[in-house]
Amino acid sequence: MELLKVNNLCKTYGESEVKVNALKNVSFSLEKGEFAAIVGESGSGKSTLLNCIGALDTPTSGIILMDGQNLFSMKEEERTIFRRRNIGFIFQSFQLVSELNVEQNIMFPLLLDYRKPDPKEVDEILNLLGLTERRYHLPSQLSGGQQQRVAIGRALITKPKLILADEPTGNLDSKNSQDVMDMLIKASRQYQQTILLITHNKDLTVSVDRVFQVSDGVLTDLGGNGNETLS
Amino acid sequence: MKHYLDLVPISAKVHRKQNRMSIFCIILAVFLITTIFGMADMFIRSQIIQAKIENGDFHITVQGITDEEAGLIKKRPDVKAAARYGVLNFNDDKGYTILDKKSIIVGADEEFVTQLQMGVINEGNFPQNDNEAMITKNARENLGLQIGDTVTIKRPGEPELSYQISGFCNNTSKIMSEDAYGVFVTTSAFREIDDIGDSTVLADHNMVLFVQFTKTYNIQNTINRLKEDCNLSEEQISENTKLLGLLGQSSNSFMMQVYISAFVLFVLVLTASIMMITSSLNSNVAQRTEFFGLMRCVGATPKQIMKFVRKEALNWCKFAIPIGIITGVLIIWILCALLRVLSPEFFSAMPIFGISIPSIAAGSAIGILTVLLASCSPAKKAAKVSPLAAVSGNAINLQPVRTAANTKFFKVDTALGIHHAKSSRKNFFLTITSFSLSVILFLSFSVAVTFMNHVLTPLRPWTADISVISPDNTCSIDRGLLENLQENPAVNHAYGRMFAYDVPLMVNDIDKMTDVISYEQKQFDWAEEYLLSGSVQAALDEENTGLIVYEPQSAVNVGDIVKIDIQGRTTEVKIVGMLSDCPFNNAADVETIICSENTFQNITGQSDYTIIDMQLNRNATDNEVNTIRQMVGTDVTFSDERMGNESTRGIYYCMWLFIYGFLAVIAFITVFNIINNISLSVTARVKQYGAFRAIGLSMKQLTKMIIAEALTYTISGAVTGTILGLIFHKLLFGMIISYRWGDPWAIPWTELGIIVLIMLFSIIFAVYRPVKRFQKMSIVENISAQ
Repeated sequence: MELLKVNNLCKTYGESEVKVNALKNVSFSLEKGEFAAIVGESGSGKSTLLNCIGALDTPTSGIILMDGQNLFSMKEEERTIFRRRNIGFIFQSFQLVSELNVEQNIMFPLLLDYRKPDPKEVDEILNLLGLTERRYHLPSQLSGGQQQRVAIGRALITKPKLILADEPTGNLDSKNSQDVMDMLIKASRQYQQTILLITHNKDLTVSVDRVFQVSDGVLTDLGGNGNETLS
Repeated sequence: MKHYLDLVPISAKVHRKQNRMSIFCIILAVFLITTIFGMADMFIRSQIIQAKIENGDFHITVQGITDEEAGLIKKRPDVKAAARYGVLNFNDDKGYTILDKKSIIVGADEEFVTQLQMGVINEGNFPQNDNEAMITKNARENLGLQIGDTVTIKRPGEPELSYQISGFCNNTSKIMSEDAYGVFVTTSAFREIDDIGDSTVLADHNMVLFVQFTKTYNIQNTINRLKEDCNLSEEQISENTKLLGLLGQSSNSFMMQVYISAFVLFVLVLTASIMMITSSLNSNVAQRTEFFGLMRCVGATPKQIMKFVRKEALNWCKFAIPIGIITGVLIIWILCALLRVLSPEFFSAMPIFGISIPSIAAGSAIGILTVLLASCSPAKKAAKVSPLAAVSGNAINLQPVRTAANTKFFKVDTALGIHHAKSSRKNFFLTITSFSLSVILFLSFSVAVTFMNHVLTPLRPWTADISVISPDNTCSIDRGLLENLQENPAVNHAYGRMFAYDVPLMVNDIDKMTDVISYEQKQFDWAEEYLLSGSVQAALDEENTGLIVYEPQSAVNVGDIVKIDIQGRTTEVKIVGMLSDCPFNNAADVETIICSENTFQNITGQSDYTIIDMQLNRNATDNEVNTIRQMVGTDVTFSDERMGNESTRGIYYCMWLFIYGFLAVIAFITVFNIINNISLSVTARVKQYGAFRAIGLSMKQLTKMIIAEALTYTISGAVTGTILGLIFHKLLFGMIISYRWGDPWAIPWTELGIIVLIMLFSIIFAVYRPVKRFQKMSIVENISAQ
C-alpha cells in the first residue's frame, strides 16, 4: 500500500543569477512499512527533499501526497496538526526541548495535541529506548546517544505513519549510531512505520529496504540495497 | 581588515536584526532621560519666568533696617541690585482715590522697576523727581491721560497730591480686578506722603529693601554672610520662596521636601533607564555568547573580547544616543511651542527651540555609561564558555536549564511559555525589574497630579472675564444693561445675579439669617454639577422654590419651607434641592439660598442686578473692553479679571502639560519597553520555536506560548511594581501632600489601573509582530534563522 508519493518535485532558491535548483523533478513513492535511505553529497539536496516531504519547507512545484492527502492544499493549522499526528521527525542536532525532561520530551507531540499520554505506552517506549532510568533527566544531563534516543521516542509516541530522520547518527559515534539504526529498524518492523532516512554513512544503508541517491537535485532510485548497488 | 576590531562593523552588519533591538533600547533609555530631564528643565525655566513676572526678580527682602544699612547692602559685591519699596492704601485702608477710583501708591527706588521686576514700564520713564509719578496704563485708557499731564490723588481729610506723569506702567491683576489705579513715585516723594518726617528707618515708612544677588547658587551662604555682616536677625529676612525654590536655593522646609521628592524621581528615572538597557543586552546574551565563544575558539583572549564588546557597544551609542537625544529635544520643542500657543502672555519669553544642556548631558552620559557597564556581562559570560560549547551551533543549549517545565498545571504550550520567561533567573529579574519600574515611575509621578490639583485651581466654567458690580452691593444695575451687553459682539456670555444679604429667615421655628441669590438658566446649568439632592430644574421652573447650599451646621433641609422676611414682606420658599458648594462666600452661620429671578423678585421686590458677569470671546481686544467699560459707565465697579484668569490659565496649562507629559512619556516608554523585551526574548528563541513547529506546534500554540511568556513577565513586573510603586507613592505623597495639606494617603486605584492596563495592552502589540513574522517564515527558515 502506497503511503508517500512524490511527483515532479522542484525546489528553487533565489532568482536570476543566484538561482539554485535544489531539487529537479524528483519523483518516487514509498510503501507502508518501507525503510528507505537517501544518500548524497553535502549540498546535493537531501535535506531540502526531506524538509519538503515533511512540509517544513514549501516546494516550488510538484505534488507530495501523504496517505493520499496533499499537505500543501491544507491550511497552516490543519497541516501542522496532520504533521503532528502522522509524521515523526528526527534531527541530527536532536532538537530536544531543553526545558522538558526525558519523559516530557517524548510525550511532547501528544501534549501539543492536548491528549493525555497513556503511561503504559510511555513506559513501553522508554523501555524500548533504554531510558527508563533517565526518564526525569533533562536533555543537558544526557549523552549525545541518549539524547538521540529521546528524539526517536518523541518521533514514535504518536505512532506516525511516516518517520523522517535527517542524519540521525551524524553527531554520534559508531556504537551509538548502530544502536539508533537498530531502534529505527525495530520500530519500523514493530509499528509498521515507513521510515525515510538521510545519511552520509553508506554502512548504515545495509539494513534498509531501499536506497535513493540525490546528486545536484536529481534523485536516482538505487533499488533494494544501497551498499550492493553502490559497490 | 587591518585590526581584529575592524570585525565590529562587519559583525554589526550581519547581526543587524539582533543589534537593532538593543540599539532601540538605548534610544528609548536616552529618550526617556533627555525628555524627562529636559521637560523638568523647561518646566522650571517657564516657572522661573512666571515667578519673575508675577512676584518679581528678587531673592530676598530685608526689613527693619536704615537707609544707611540699605546703602551698604546695595554696594556689596554679592548684591546685583537692591531697591527700597513701600506701598500705601494696598487694602483701601486710607481711602486714596483718583476720580473716585481706589488708588494704590507705591514708592520705590528706580532699580525696583528696572531690575527687580520684569516688564513694568509700558511707556515713558520712572519718575526722576518728587513731582513726577508713573501710573498704571488703565488710567491712560480710562482717563485719557498722557505723559506730561497732571494726576491728582484725593486723600480723605488730607491735602490732595498732584504729580506730573512721567510714564505708564503695565497693569497688574490686582489693579484690574479691583478697578483701581496704581501710582509709582520716588522713595523721597513716597516718604512725604505720610507724616513720619525724616526718619531713616525703612519700617517707619512702611518700606522694605528688595535684594537680588549676583550669583544664583549658594544663595543660603550669601544670606548667612549678609546676616553676619549686617547683624540681621532671621525675622528681618524674607525669602522669595517661589523663585528660590525654583532655583533650588530655598531653605523653606516644604521646598526641601519637594527637592527630596524630585531626587527620588530622578533616581527612579535613572534606574529605569539603566535597567532597560541592561535587560535588553542580557536578553540577547545567548546569541552574543555563541558569537564570542566562536571568537574565543579562533584564539581571541577574554581581554580582546571585552575590547570588542566595548567597541561594539560604543558603535551602537554613536547612532542611538544622538537619535534618543534628538527625539527627546523634539518632544521638548513641541511642548514649549504648545505652551507659547496656550499662554502667549506668559511664555513668549520661552524659546521654542530651547536646548536643555543638562538633559542632553544626562542622556549622553547615562547612555554611554550604562551601555558600557551592561555590555561587560555578555563578554564575561563569553569568556567563561568553553569553545566547544560555543561552536556547537545551538546557542539555546548554552542557557543552563535547572528544572523541567511544569506540564501538570498548564497545557504544554503555556507551561513552556512560562518556563521560558523564568528559565534565566538573571534575565527574568532584569526584565521584571524594568517592567516594574514603569509602574513605580507612573505611580510616583502621579503624586504630582495631586500636587498640581492642590496648588492650582483651574478656571471654573462660570469664571467671568469682566464683572460689573454694584458699588454698594445692592440691586442697582439696570436689567437693560444685561441685554445690551449680550448683544455686544465681544461678549460670549453675559449673565446677571441679584443679591440680598443677611435676610431674616425662619425654618422649623428657628430664626436664622440667609443670603438670597438669583440665578438664570446658565448658572443653574453650572450648579447641576454640585447638586447633592433634589432638583435644580424645579428651582428654575417653579416659583417660590430655591436651592440651599450645604453647610455643616445648616438648619435647612430639602423639602423644608422657609419663611423669608424682607421689609415686613414674608415669602414662603420651598427648598427643592441642595448644592454642595457655590462660588460665593458667606458669613458664618448665614445660609445661602439660590433661586430663580422670578422667585427673587417675589421675595425682595427687586428686579435689577447686583452683578453682571461677562465671558468674553477669546479674541476680544482691549479696545472692545474699553467700549464695554464706557457702555456701563463710571457709577459701577468694572472688575477686569482677564489678567488674573490668564495667569491662572497659564500656570495651569504649564503644569498640566508637563505633569501629564511626564506620565505620557512613562506610558509610552512602558509600551515600547514591553514590546522590545518580548521581541528580544522571542528572537533569542527563534530556532527553538522552529524546532517546536517542526515537531507539531501550531501557530496558535506558538502564539499562546509567547503570550504566556509575555504575561509571566508582565504580571510579575506589575505585581512587583505595584508593591514597590505603592511604597514610593506613599512616601512621596507623605512628603509633598500630607506634609503640606494633611490629606490622608489612599491607594491610587485609577492610576494603578491605567498603568496595569497599559502594560497588558502592550502585550497585544508585543506578541503581534513576532507572530506575524513567524507566520511568514517557513519552518526551515525558522530553524535556520540567525
